[in-house]
Amino acid sequence: MRRDLRLALLLLLSAALESNSMSPPGKPVLLGCRSPEKETFTCWWEPGPDGGLPTTHRLYYERERLEGIHECPDYQSAGKNSCFFDKNHTSIWVDYFLTVVAFNDLGNATSDPLKMDVMEIVKPDPPENVTLLVKDIEDSPHLHVGWQRPQNTDTESGWVTIKYKLRVKQENNKKWKEYMSGTQTHFSLYSVSPGVEYSVQVRCRLDHGFWSEWSNTSHVKIPDYLQDKRPFGILVSTLCVITFIATMCILVMKRKYLKKCFLPPVPGPKITGVDFTLLKSGPTEDAINSLNQNFPLMVAWKDQMEDYLIVTENDIGLEPHPFISQKRKNRSMFSSSGFCFHSEIQSQDSRLSLNEQEKAGKRNHEIQQFVKSNKSLSGTSLSNIEQTQQCSHKQQGTIINFGITEATQQSRSHHDNTVKPLTDSGYVDIRRHEENTEEVDVKTLQYSRVKEMNSDNTLILEKENVSRPGYMDVQRQENTEGYSRVKEVEGDSMIIVQKQILSSDTYYKETGNNSIDCDLQMPRGLTGFSKVGVCAELDSGYVDTIPVTHLM
Amino acid sequence: MDRNLFAVLILVYLELSMRAGTSPVCPSGQAGCHVPSLADLFNRVIQQSSRVHAISSDLHSEFEQYFFPSKNFLGKGKCHTYGIMTPADKENAQRLGRDQLTEVILRLLGAWEDPLSQLYHSMSQDQNQDFNHYSSNKALEISDMVHELRDGVTKVAEKMKLLGVLGNYVGYTIPETLPPSSAFYFNKKGEVTSMDHLVLLYCFRRDSNKVKNYLRILKCTTLPVLDC
Repeated sequence: MRRDLRLALLLLLSAALESNSMSPPGKPVLLGCRSPEKETFTCWWEPGPDGGLPTTHRLYYERERLEGIHECPDYQSAGKNSCFFDKNHTSIWVDYFLTVVAFNDLGNATSDPLKMDVMEIVKPDPPENVTLLVKDIEDSPHLHVGWQRPQNTDTESGWVTIKYKLRVKQENNKKWKEYMSGTQTHFSLYSVSPGVEYSVQVRCRLDHGFWSEWSNTSHVKIPDYLQDKRPFGILVSTLCVITFIATMCILVMKRKYLKKCFLPPVPGPKITGVDFTLLKSGPTEDAINSLNQNFPLMVAWKDQMEDYLIVTENDIGLEPHPFISQKRKNRSMFSSSGFCFHSEIQSQDSRLSLNEQEKAGKRNHEIQQFVKSNKSLSGTSLSNIEQTQQCSHKQQGTIINFGITEATQQSRSHHDNTVKPLTDSGYVDIRRHEENTEEVDVKTLQYSRVKEMNSDNTLILEKENVSRPGYMDVQRQENTEGYSRVKEVEGDSMIIVQKQILSSDTYYKETGNNSIDCDLQMPRGLTGFSKVGVCAELDSGYVDTIPVTHLM
Repeated sequence: MDRNLFAVLILVYLELSMRAGTSPVCPSGQAGCHVPSLADLFNRVIQQSSRVHAISSDLHSEFEQYFFPSKNFLGKGKCHTYGIMTPADKENAQRLGRDQLTEVILRLLGAWEDPLSQLYHSMSQDQNQDFNHYSSNKALEISDMVHELRDGVTKVAEKMKLLGVLGNYVGYTIPETLPPSSAFYFNKKGEVTSMDHLVLLYCFRRDSNKVKNYLRILKCTTLPVLDC
């Protein structure tokens, strides 16, 4: 049973296969026809599926003014699946009705009919023997293109009229340029560039038929005609370059002049009295002063002479305070607790430095020197005073140390222990400025004059205020009134003042100790003296004894 | 008014002078009168026929594309000039001889004057078509050109007769009676369909091509070969 089934299946399969593989042929398709010279024509078809069996194709045609159905006269001349109609079988201006039939053992298939007129299917062969010639006429090269008509066309009898067209392309360009040539078999191309390779193609058509295919490309390279003209061109270009460079050099060298000539400077703004050049470097005092010249000068009241010698009292608690030497305009640092009027004066400017260790014999001299030098110090500060140990030498008695600024002959003789009256203004100038800020002019200072000296070596200062214009004391009195003289110089830095009892307003009694007890805490004026001695309030800390006239 | 009159006169003069194929032929060769040579006449005629054929082809293709996109027009209708025996290839045309060739040309041209004018009239009257105006103008132009062409060919024949290359009886033989074109292209009711127009144009295109070809052969067989 199984074998039978298998056999049956096999047979069925084979039958099915066979039936699938063999069939009548498929329908062929007529592709078209073409006449190259209007005397013959060829038709092509495409066969359909052959159905697995060898199939043959036959072309049949009917023609206007011709009876019957005819078969293709020539199947071979034009190749496979084609039919060639020679001159005898070709008629113009008549309609052909073509069909192709495919035959095989199982059947046949007929294509769709195609109606055609030879007049409508004319498409010639491309032109032949395209030649390119470069002709050089009067140094202007042009390209001469020549060709021949297709061999099979007959123009002598006038049967056909061929019109040509050519196209030209440069080697690096992709675009073709077309030119119509009419019926001529040559063409001259004038727009050619030397050194460029050109490609040319030609095609044609008969009357108003189809254009033929393009001919094979012909190439030609135009020779370079500028070889002989190069030296001249190089010369000309070199001259131009040289001229250009020379011009540029001249322009660069004379650029300032040119700039002045073409771009004159624009005058800037001006303000009378102000010099802008000063402001260019930034704000300076001079510039600001010049700007402010119309304004009243505000002299700081600080600009006073401030170089006073400090009268200090021997005080235990006194400690050497360094007094900073200052210039005229700088003042500060005064001991408020008291002042030591040291004979030992140390100026920080080191012009004078009195050393304790120096000999006492030189003390006066030094002081004198100092005084002298103080004289020469115009306004400079004598405030380079330093409390020395003399302050601590209170047990030596009430010693009031003065720095007598003015040296007189009498003062010179201090070392002689002779009491000589101070003819000069060896007065103590006490500056008090708190009370005087409102009252006194900026430039005025108050000075106290030592009126008398007590027996116990106390200075009695006048109460009267001595105002002096300028920072120096104007009051110059030659008389010894109110002055105390240095009696002697004791020690290194001690000056013993001669007692002089003068008229004074105030008397101060010495207190128990010989120390000068100054209550300097209070900002008092000259009135605030203790009887011990001069207690000048020393907020400024200076007792000015510098006469004005000498130092001015 | 003077200006307008002057402009009109100029236009009329230009119109008259622009007509091709109507240059006067001096009968006795007077001095100062330009007598065209046979070659010139042939060239003019051939150019005219080429133009006629071009316009007819355009008209036909326009009609065909507009109304019948399927190109394979399988109508087996005949043209009304079917009765005129024309050579169908080069050999036959060369064998025919100048006289008969000239006769054929003249007959063809004469057979188409009426149908073309009728075509123009029917196209201008038909208001359905959008491009009718453009085509009707062309139809009018064609009818005029064919008329001129026929005159030109007649002159050529006269010239050839003068030169002795053409028989004296060319153009005077009694032509075959042709069926009236109205029977072919227009139905008896007088109504014209676009199909009729198409057939007419198809036939005319073919005949204009024949004329062009025949004229060239005539020229090249009559004149020296240099010009061909």
